[in-house]
Amino acid sequence: MTKTLRRPFLEHCDNPRDVRNALRLVGYFLGWAVVYTGASQLIKRELVPAGPISWFLAVLATLAGVVVIIAYARFLRQADELQRTIQLQALAIAFGGTFFGIAAYEVFERIGAPRLDIGDVSLAMAFLYTITVLANTWRYR
Amino acid sequence: MKNRLKVLRAERDWTQAELARRLEVSRQTVNAVETGKYDPSLPLAFKIAQTFGQPIEAIFHPDGQGE
Repeated sequence: MTKTLRRPFLEHCDNPRDVRNALRLVGYFLGWAVVYTGASQLIKRELVPAGPISWFLAVLATLAGVVVIIAYARFLRQADELQRTIQLQALAIAFGGTFFGIAAYEVFERIGAPRLDIGDVSLAMAFLYTITVLANTWRYR
Repeated sequence: MKNRLKVLRAERDWTQAELARRLEVSRQTVNAVETGKYDPSLPLAFKIAQTFGQPIEAIFHPDGQGE
C-alpha cells in the first residue's frame, strides 16, 4: 500500500496487523453495502416476487449489518488506545449530532419544512462520523 | 501533561516507529503523546516507564511543574 493511500485514512496503521484490521473492516462494510443495495433495489424495483423471497432478502440485509457491527467491535478491541479514543469521539459526535439534529428539525417540520427521510438521517450520521474521524486523525497526526 | 519521551527516545536513537513497535501501539500514538496532544492511559504510561527503565514521575510531569 502506498504512503499516499495510507494518509490520512490509514494514518494509525503502522504495522501489518493494523492494516489487516482496517482493511478487514472496510471489506465487511463494502460487503454490507453490496448486499444492502442489492436487496433494497431488487425489492424496490419489484424484480423479486413479494413474499418469502423478499423477506429473505430483507433478513439477509439485516444480518449483513449485524456482521459489520461485530467486525467493528472486533476492530475496536484490536485498535490501540488512541484509535479507540478517536472512534469514541466520532461515534459520540455522530450519535449526538444526529439525535439533536433530528429533534431540532422536527420543530422545523411543524412550521412547514419538508418531511425528513430516514435515509437522510443515516447519511447525516455517516457524514458526521467520517468527518470526525478525519478531523481527529489530522489533530493527532 | 508534559513528558520527556522525545528526549529519552533520542538518547536511545530510536525512531517513533521503533518505540511504537516496542510499546505495541501505533506511531501516531507515540507522536501524539510526545507532542502532548494525547495523555496516555495508566497502563501505557507504565509500559513507557518500563521500556525506558525509569519511574513514571521521571518521564511525565503535570503542566506547570519542572521537566
